[in-house]
Amino acid sequence: MALFRTAEIIKASKLPPEGVKLSRMIDAVYFLPIAYFGVFATFHMHFDLLAGDWDFWVDWKDRQFWVTVTPIVEVMYPGAIMYYFWTFYRQPFGATLSITGLLVGKWITIVFAWYWWANFPANFVMPATMVSSALILDCTLLLTRSWMLTAIFGVWAFAMMFNPTQYAIFGYSHQPVVVDGQLLSLADYMGFTFVRTGTPEYIRIIEVGSLRTFGGHTVWISAFFSAFVSMLVFTIWWQIGHFVGQSFFWVKGKRGVMRRMNDTMIVGTDEFAQRHGTPDGIAPGARVAARTAATTIS
Amino acid sequence: MNAKNIFKLCVIGSLGMATLGLTLAFNVSTAAAHGERSQEPFLRMRTAQWYDTRWNPQKTAVNDEAMLSGKIHISEDWPRAVIKPNRTFINVGSPSSVFTRLSSKVNGVPMFTSGPMEIGGDYEYVIKLRGRLPGHHHIHPMLAVNGAGPIAGPGGWMDITGNYKDFTNPVKLLVGGTADTETAGMAAGLFWHIVWGTLGFLWIAWFSIRPMFLIRARVLAQEGGDALLNDPVDRVVAFGMLGVCFVLIAIGFFYTDSQYPYTIPLQAGEPKIKATHLKSDLTVKVLAADYDVPGRALRMTLQVTNSGEQPLMIGEFTTAGIRFLNKVGVANNMDPTYPPEIMAQDGLHIEDESPINPGETREVKLDSRDSLWEVQRLMDLVHDPDQRFGGLIMAWDEAGNRHINSIAGNIIPVFTRATAS
Repeated sequence: MALFRTAEIIKASKLPPEGVKLSRMIDAVYFLPIAYFGVFATFHMHFDLLAGDWDFWVDWKDRQFWVTVTPIVEVMYPGAIMYYFWTFYRQPFGATLSITGLLVGKWITIVFAWYWWANFPANFVMPATMVSSALILDCTLLLTRSWMLTAIFGVWAFAMMFNPTQYAIFGYSHQPVVVDGQLLSLADYMGFTFVRTGTPEYIRIIEVGSLRTFGGHTVWISAFFSAFVSMLVFTIWWQIGHFVGQSFFWVKGKRGVMRRMNDTMIVGTDEFAQRHGTPDGIAPGARVAARTAATTIS
Repeated sequence: MNAKNIFKLCVIGSLGMATLGLTLAFNVSTAAAHGERSQEPFLRMRTAQWYDTRWNPQKTAVNDEAMLSGKIHISEDWPRAVIKPNRTFINVGSPSSVFTRLSSKVNGVPMFTSGPMEIGGDYEYVIKLRGRLPGHHHIHPMLAVNGAGPIAGPGGWMDITGNYKDFTNPVKLLVGGTADTETAGMAAGLFWHIVWGTLGFLWIAWFSIRPMFLIRARVLAQEGGDALLNDPVDRVVAFGMLGVCFVLIAIGFFYTDSQYPYTIPLQAGEPKIKATHLKSDLTVKVLAADYDVPGRALRMTLQVTNSGEQPLMIGEFTTAGIRFLNKVGVANNMDPTYPPEIMAQDGLHIEDESPINPGETREVKLDSRDSLWEVQRLMDLVHDPDQRFGGLIMAWDEAGNRHINSIAGNIIPVFTRATAS
């Protein structure tokens, strides 16, 4: 018994062998240069503009703003990309593709911009990783097959797992040090010791002690709030994916009336020609005739 | 391809070759300053007034310590255009972190975080540095003001010799042991990035080894396509992946927690720094000032009263970190290590050079004249929307005691040689 249903799926696609071969070539060309690099380049820019400094510097990774902002910003692109991959292909790797893509961009920046160009050590500019959260999100979508349940449970876990995941990477930076009689965390001292001419200390947007009324559980309060906002943001970006990811044709019917056809996969088939007719002078039933009926792609 | 196109390509190619040739022919040197001259003169003259800046020593080795120190006076004539210094940070202007900063004290108070400064206040800063990246570096003290940006002090050259690979920056931990800021947490960070990255790529690869897009899209468009694409093996893998994720997160969290049982949040308090104030037996009032554009001179008419018991002689006018001295200033306050490119040793001229006697009030005509006004782009004052100048006047008594006054006033530009004379 085969591990996958690949043979059945190929059979159901009704593509000839050369079509299957061509589709795999399209997979390679489309997936790597276009989907992957396109996503990581734009997501990287998007993320750095909205949450860049929290991710750049170890002394910005606080319990309040970093924990709140990062999941909210990191769930945006996955929302839209997941819509696209899931709705059109039932592929459950939109979030992982987005987040690993972001990290590929991040590490290129760390090596070439931060280390090679600006001479900061990698530990000082180490980014957070949300690949764990992205995997949870993708798995939730695959298992529930519902974007609403994914938004409620998957995105909740996406944001809530942020801090425990990062603690393994940045826990060391919260060790206390005393310099000149003043208590600092190691992260504070690293931010101080590595001179950043254009980033004075007050630029940091970090917790200043304003969440005391919540019993000092700043991290979890921030994470819950982040999870709540992330759910909302995810649904908005899922809908953005829906808005920009629509695929339809404008088709000229038998009486010359233009109609919007959402069922794009039917275009080019005999069934399409039988249902919607063909342009004048072309006999129904001919595939080529049906293909030429699709006049405009939006 | 016709002849016209060939001609066009030849022209473009020739231009390209010419550009390459020019690039190779000219000496393209490294940019080594921080754009301090591009800041508006009114900003440089009337915000932080820097003096006694020292870069000591000017030559250090990797891992050796150096000191950047000096004083700033927060001008009473703080410009309208600049946010008041309610949150400031003493910083270092350097091309990346060529030094690491070990400590920073302002009026004896550690300044790890930012805090307020008082207009009219005087602050002495001492920044302890450790050589990190070998090279010839231009280093400025810098006052960063929240909402206003960085205000660069005078820049001096510091050399670091040795090899970066030898650099270490250990800091003692409160609970024992040390951490090197250059490498702390690096192994754990790389390890977890590799672990999660690998899992992420494996997850994508799991779906990439099968037809990904076109075939699935065609199947999905058919009735029953969704069920066909719901491969049971994917569901098993997804359950497994969820488990792996939660277990790995828990392992990472609890292992790290056991490694570092004592942790604290980022510290965001502010230092409470008490200002000192300039002391002077002189009272100085600006009666008039003009800027002689062609003569590159700032000419001031000051009303000066000596309320002390010693005769005083004016020896220096300093503004924007640029020093104009006469022989009195050279005798009393000449620092041979001060960068010569921002100091005019014979740049200050006084009409009547006799001492200002105790109790005397005198009108003093002071002329600070040097090409530095142009080289340092302070002549751009004439293009500013705020035509006022500021600076520090320094005078000395016979015993060598210094008296410093911060001055500021309106300034009138003089555009032609005829009217300037």
